[in-house]
Amino acid sequence: MNSQTNRMKDNKHISLDEIGKELPFCVPDNYFNQFAIQIDEQIGYKSVTTKKFLKPWMYMAAMFVGVLLMGQVFYTVYQNNTTKNAENYELYVLSQVDETSLMDYYVDESVK
Amino acid sequence: MNPTEEELQIQLNEPLKRVGAFSVLVRMYQERLYWHIRKMILSHDDSNDVLQNTFMKAWNGLDGFRGESKLSTWLYRIATNETLTFLTNKRLRNISSMDDVEDVLLQNLRADSYFNGTEIQMKLQEAILTLPEKQRLVFNMKYFEDITYEQMEAVLGTSVGALKASYHHAVKKIEKFFADED
Repeated sequence: MNSQTNRMKDNKHISLDEIGKELPFCVPDNYFNQFAIQIDEQIGYKSVTTKKFLKPWMYMAAMFVGVLLMGQVFYTVYQNNTTKNAENYELYVLSQVDETSLMDYYVDESVK
Repeated sequence: MNPTEEELQIQLNEPLKRVGAFSVLVRMYQERLYWHIRKMILSHDDSNDVLQNTFMKAWNGLDGFRGESKLSTWLYRIATNETLTFLTNKRLRNISSMDDVEDVLLQNLRADSYFNGTEIQMKLQEAILTLPEKQRLVFNMKYFEDITYEQMEAVLGTSVGALKASYHHAVKKIEKFFADED
């Protein structure tokens, strides 16, 4: 091509065959991919891409993790309550029994 | 693997497959149609608009396509009509200007960042722009795309004989352009 340009500068005749059939135009990067997506949107076509296919799985995984966390929280609260209830019950029973009866109970138990 | 034209045409007639088939059709023909349009309009941005109009016209006119011609011929015909309509509208808008449309196209091409040719290729574009519109179309299709006269006849509706004569005249004019430049 440079030789052709030089020949043109030297005012020498250029023929069509020498110029060639290559088009001197270009397009922006990724133009045709973007164009096709744009037309897809205009005609209302939703292609099943990997990204879209993965979405329901991602939702399900997030739900599963959420359920596990909630379960953990509820279990911890339940455990705390059970321990507290047992302690409270013991205190309540002890408060209802006078010291003499309690001593008799322990003495009887040791005699047996 | 892309379907054949016939398979695609069958899918386009099935309501449930139509949208997907059209999406495939766009991917199959967008490049060829883009370059067909671009060679006439020269500017990338305008070619992009005309290409969009072409596919939307095709989408809206699918029910009217009875398969009398090949799918590709039908698309080429729409693209050609859209291109000529664009140029006519540009000419009408430009009627009060001192420059004619071809001058405007050339100025746009010189300023277009998507032109990556050499000086001599720019000269060739300048020479092509001196041709009448229809002759320019014939020259571009034959010279750059190497489309057969029979295919061109189906797209343009002009006889093979007339197309051959048109191309021959176009080549002579371009050669004269270069000779006069010397």
